[in-house]
Amino acid sequence: MTEVVYDKPQDHMGMPLPTPKVAMWLFLVTEIMFFTALIGTYIILRHGTPAQSPFRWPTPHDVHLIEWIGALNTFVLICSSFTVVLAHHAAVKADMKKATLYIAITLALGGVFLIIKAYEYNSKFQHDILPGHIGETRLPEKELGEPKIALDDPRAIERGKHDHAVGMQYFHRVQLQLEAIKNSSIDAEVQKDCNKLLDEMTSATAGEGQAIAFHRPPSPAEVGTRVNEILERAEKKGVSLHLTPAIPFGNLWASCYFAMTGFHALHVFGGLVVFVIILLIAALGRFGPQHSTMLEMVGLYWHFVDIVWIFLFPLLYLV
Amino acid sequence: MTETGHATTHDAAHDLRVKAYFTVFIALSVFTAISFIANEAVRQGWISVATSVTIIMVVAVIKAFLVGLIFMHLNFDWGKVYFIIVPIFILGVMMMMVLMPDIVIPWQQSQQPLEPPVSTTGTR
Repeated sequence: MTEVVYDKPQDHMGMPLPTPKVAMWLFLVTEIMFFTALIGTYIILRHGTPAQSPFRWPTPHDVHLIEWIGALNTFVLICSSFTVVLAHHAAVKADMKKATLYIAITLALGGVFLIIKAYEYNSKFQHDILPGHIGETRLPEKELGEPKIALDDPRAIERGKHDHAVGMQYFHRVQLQLEAIKNSSIDAEVQKDCNKLLDEMTSATAGEGQAIAFHRPPSPAEVGTRVNEILERAEKKGVSLHLTPAIPFGNLWASCYFAMTGFHALHVFGGLVVFVIILLIAALGRFGPQHSTMLEMVGLYWHFVDIVWIFLFPLLYLV
Repeated sequence: MTETGHATTHDAAHDLRVKAYFTVFIALSVFTAISFIANEAVRQGWISVATSVTIIMVVAVIKAFLVGLIFMHLNFDWGKVYFIIVPIFILGVMMMMVLMPDIVIPWQQSQQPLEPPVSTTGTR
């Protein structure tokens, strides 16, 4: 039975392990720093929010994260790590047919992971839980721990202008969404709630020939509260609405979520590209025991991607 | 040792490795289930949030340790690559510690009543 044998350390000067392995570990530690920056920032930002007040970090339920889907994704990646290490093991034993089969299974499992991720992302798009979209109000000064400043202070005026612009952005977004809902066919009670809010927001004037009574439209904060109530009632009836909720720290959560899982998904995709290349080499009949080192290096990268998800899953979905 | 004897020893070693991989795979699956159950237990009120967070993070570290040790062959290679890996973990922890005073600590302190500032222009 043929087998690949590494160069014995005493035959060469330098590192007591193959050069590809040194190179791959150097690359992996740069990737560790990359994800440490993202995950560490998430941990810091999360711990920097009040824990007990209503203005707390969103729970998975607030942002429509489903824990069992994350757990399923974790299991899929664990299986793929197992199959990639078996692929390397088969290549070392020069059983290239088995190695090719295990690589194909790993590719399939990686594809399943990305499909599940795409389903989750679609859910976020449906609920419009995207960075910069979610309605948020400024935290009370007591929560901020900042000293009170006079209302006519230039800083307060600038802050007020900024808050107004951001609030009206959310107001107009919800208005457009409610107008789209008006033209759709959904549950009658939910439709009634949405239409009522839309009428109040557009400060509906009376019909022609009738006296117009002034009606103050709701503020963006009030719109956010009403939207959350509508969404809660719709969820109980099993109706899915494309309506942006108001979630404290929601935009920060969405930025962290898409940054971390987006970059992780890109890394998974990169691994899948390499698996496709390996399968192409196998299809051309050139896949042999000489590729076992390459398989080991690809396996190291894939295990790293698995380890990142092992930490992402509990940090995002569970705790 | 004869050729067949050598081959038999080698096959046995290979089988042991496959067994180790399979054992780690089962362990990883079980640990994933444990962390999921710990999360459910909090929602049902059976355990506290702090206990659940501890269980979940310890489980995550153990899973990462098993993947690194067995799947990534660090049980063979640790002595040759530790000097590349260890500084990165030190840097990672340091990065979070360095950011804490600006982002985390002011929030924690803002939950307590602030002391009035001491005047620097004292009266004589």
